[in-house]
Amino acid sequence: MQAARGRVEVTDLSWRPFGRRDPVLRDITLTLEPGERVLLVGPSGSGKSTLLRAIAGLLETADAGDLAGSVAVDGAQPGSRPGAVGLVLQEPGAGVVAASVGRDVAFGPENVRMPPDGIRSMVTDALAAVGLGDLALDTPTSTLSGGQTQRLALAGTLALDPAVILLDEPTAMLDPESAQEVRDAVAALTSRPGAPTLVVVEHVLGPWVDLVERLVVLSDDGRVVADGPVRDALATQRDHLLSMGVWVPGEGPPEPVAVDPALVAAQPRRGGLPPLAASPLAVDRTTRLVDGSRRTRRSAELTEQVRAVPGSLTALVGPSGSGKSTVLHTLAGFLTPTPPDAVRVTSPDALTPTSSDAAGPADLDAAGLARALAWVPQWSSSTIVASTVLDEVLVTSRALNPEDSQGADEPQADVDRARALLAALGLGHLERADPRHLSGGEQRRLAVAAALHHGPPVLLADEPTVGQDRRTWATLVGLVAAYRAAGGAVITATHDSHVIARATKVQHLRAPDPAPEVPANGIPLVARCGPLALLGGALLAVPAGVLSPHWSVSFAVLAAQLVLAVVGLWAPGPGAVTRIRGTALRVLPGLVAALSVGWSTWFLAGRDLDPALTVALRVLIIVLPSAVLIPWMDPDRLGDHLAQRLRLPDRPVVATAAALQRVHSFGAIWSELSRARRVRGLGVSWRAPRTVAAHIGALTMGLLVRTLRAAAELAVAMDARGFATAQSRSWWLPAPWRVRDTLLVALATMPLVVAVTAR
Amino acid sequence: MATQIEPTTQEPRSTTGRSLTATRPLMGWRTVDILTIAFLGAALGVAFWGWGVFYNGPVTALKIGYAPLMGLFVGPWFLAGVVGGLVVRRPGAALFCEVVAALVSMLPGTEWGATVLISGVLQGLGAELVFAIFGYKAFSIGVAALAGALSAPLQWGFEVMSLPAGGGGWYAEWVLRDKVVYLGAMMLSGAVIAGVLGWLLVRALARAGALSAFPPGQEHRESHAV
Repeated sequence: MQAARGRVEVTDLSWRPFGRRDPVLRDITLTLEPGERVLLVGPSGSGKSTLLRAIAGLLETADAGDLAGSVAVDGAQPGSRPGAVGLVLQEPGAGVVAASVGRDVAFGPENVRMPPDGIRSMVTDALAAVGLGDLALDTPTSTLSGGQTQRLALAGTLALDPAVILLDEPTAMLDPESAQEVRDAVAALTSRPGAPTLVVVEHVLGPWVDLVERLVVLSDDGRVVADGPVRDALATQRDHLLSMGVWVPGEGPPEPVAVDPALVAAQPRRGGLPPLAASPLAVDRTTRLVDGSRRTRRSAELTEQVRAVPGSLTALVGPSGSGKSTVLHTLAGFLTPTPPDAVRVTSPDALTPTSSDAAGPADLDAAGLARALAWVPQWSSSTIVASTVLDEVLVTSRALNPEDSQGADEPQADVDRARALLAALGLGHLERADPRHLSGGEQRRLAVAAALHHGPPVLLADEPTVGQDRRTWATLVGLVAAYRAAGGAVITATHDSHVIARATKVQHLRAPDPAPEVPANGIPLVARCGPLALLGGALLAVPAGVLSPHWSVSFAVLAAQLVLAVVGLWAPGPGAVTRIRGTALRVLPGLVAALSVGWSTWFLAGRDLDPALTVALRVLIIVLPSAVLIPWMDPDRLGDHLAQRLRLPDRPVVATAAALQRVHSFGAIWSELSRARRVRGLGVSWRAPRTVAAHIGALTMGLLVRTLRAAAELAVAMDARGFATAQSRSWWLPAPWRVRDTLLVALATMPLVVAVTAR
Repeated sequence: MATQIEPTTQEPRSTTGRSLTATRPLMGWRTVDILTIAFLGAALGVAFWGWGVFYNGPVTALKIGYAPLMGLFVGPWFLAGVVGGLVVRRPGAALFCEVVAALVSMLPGTEWGATVLISGVLQGLGAELVFAIFGYKAFSIGVAALAGALSAPLQWGFEVMSLPAGGGGWYAEWVLRDKVVYLGAMMLSGAVIAGVLGWLLVRALARAGALSAFPPGQEHRESHAV
């Protein structure tokens, strides 16, 4: 029966991850009635997310530990019906499985082998229920805003008809408008008769109070310390909640913690020019498309000038997508604006700064940039460069004074100041800890302290207070206030109204107008073929090359391939030239390889031109078809075809497709890590190979750690949608083999036929 | 019991230096196992592509001299198999990881075209073979070095094979001595760069707290029990 679904019984639940001394959850006993709406709160680190994972039956999906007690949903184990307990994670995008909206929602139904006809209506219903009904099903998930992505995650759980829905701080990383969209979608869901039981974890209670009936409070040692109707519990527990750092409705921002300005003194300035000034600017981003053409999109516009005057706080505000982070990146010199000299920084060393001493931040070396400004990105764990908390704070000061950085020569004052700074931020006891093991809130405070220790005149901070509880908020805002009192200038992208209230200048940003539609190019044969035909065509070149016995034959084979390349890439309409130019560019590495293989053969095999020419042409025969065909392979469709046509096992295929569609994000992570090192004064110079090795090593480690975290998060999200038991799935979209696929393979066989008959 | 899922690894206890194995059954791949291999493969695939660009430039210059010494620079391409096998410790992990990495490095276009995928299979099989010989029970630095070294021979065979009536791989025309030197260089590179450095990389990842769901993460916890 629908009406009685969603009863959750947690009995004596305890959980201690291996490697931790104390349990995260202790003897939790809790019963939720069907359809009940519950707000779960507690201080950072109190095990709120852990409890949600336990209710979903996913505690041991990506972690190991001691589990005691039991969880039952409608009398059964939580995982016994896939998708019975839906889970939405905090970080938008952490649970995105597929490259398009429709595919992503269909993931759960596919896991439970729902027939494809049923999936379509399930997908459209689920999207309509979260207010995304007007999105086309093939909308790329990467183009959604944060709020849309969170609603997509909600739709993904709805497609499995959940009895319980768990939301883990679903709006913590969103701007106010996007957060409201998500809450509206939740409100619409839970007001229906027979609605699922709802548990929301949040530390900003105000906007949720009207959506829930019951409040459950966890203590920082993982016990339930209060439980009752939401209004009553708020009234009786008010002081307790405030002391935990929870944002209680009706309560203003906390008093910032007093920090001694001497700890973060900016270097004294001697002239009248501000340390950083920007005239109105625009930022364009160019992407290269598969057919070799380029598309340029305006990603941000700054319409007024920005001057980082000592003591000032400039707030960049605007809805998500308005380019706040992009403008900060540009101010730090990571992106080139139009006009290119719009951003100027003035060296603090200049005795009487004049405009001739001003430079673009991109033109400075790493040390110069670190002296001119500091930058704290939104994902503060990516700025970690040292292996202890204390070293992390000292990194930039050491990089700027290399001669006295080692051991006893290091100015004791610097170390003392770093310790005092850590103590002021409540991190003093963690001085020797590995910063990568800190909590997110601790890492955020550490990142700001590490950015300011060497006294840069300007701080660029991207959403520094997002996701902070009252206590950490008060510490961060206190630190920034001390820095301003000491003569520092702050420019921050934020949507925190309490931070905006403290700003000396508020700069509103507006999303640039979308670029006009470019007329579509003609569609060549290669773009119409399925991924297996393309891959097969490319692989057929291998035997063709290997079997070509002599360069005279190879010439004939290569000629056939060139003709076929033109056939495959030609299409009526514009774009043929860019396609061919793009292909030629991709053949270039192959040409280099052909030359080098030819040379080595000439050099080692009797200095005879004949075999050298033969192997060089062999390389070209093998490489050319790949350059023509491979770029047109679509990773998602490749997954469909590998599983349905080649009958490869479903789970590895889905995982590979999910990994492929995130490859593009690796480049972004790599540049963010690289920028974080540069702005902290850790430069790279080809003249010092040690710095290059350190740089590549650090970036590779950083990328791999982020990648592994993403895989663990995604594993939780996927198992919440029935993937754990999806040994054999249904597939929503068919993987047809068409006549044109046969045609492509037949054409690709021709060079092989030439090679074989000539042997 | 709250769930049916077996604990990922066992409770830390004192060990005698032998490797921890994955949970039984060994073929019981968890979602996090599959996703971790796929994501590691994808990340290393991007690195493969980057190494390919470097290899195509400065390293190619070596071919002007004694080309078989290029084998000393192929180790990075064997990393995915070794690292995948060391992290997940289940049958197929090394092969799966190396093939995903090859697939990803093939997509943007390299100097080797679709042969990259074939190479991924051949190299992954070599590393997989070593982990299988040890019954997926031994994951020491020595086993890692052996897995790195044995990633080379199948790949080498593909590159130097020659057909009786003409034709063959890229280095088909070299004399046998040069081919053998090339094999030795490849195996040495595989043992050092993929094996030893790969083992150190896995240990560093465990220290960074990124492998808590896997046996290497547990080995780290045991040596640093809190």
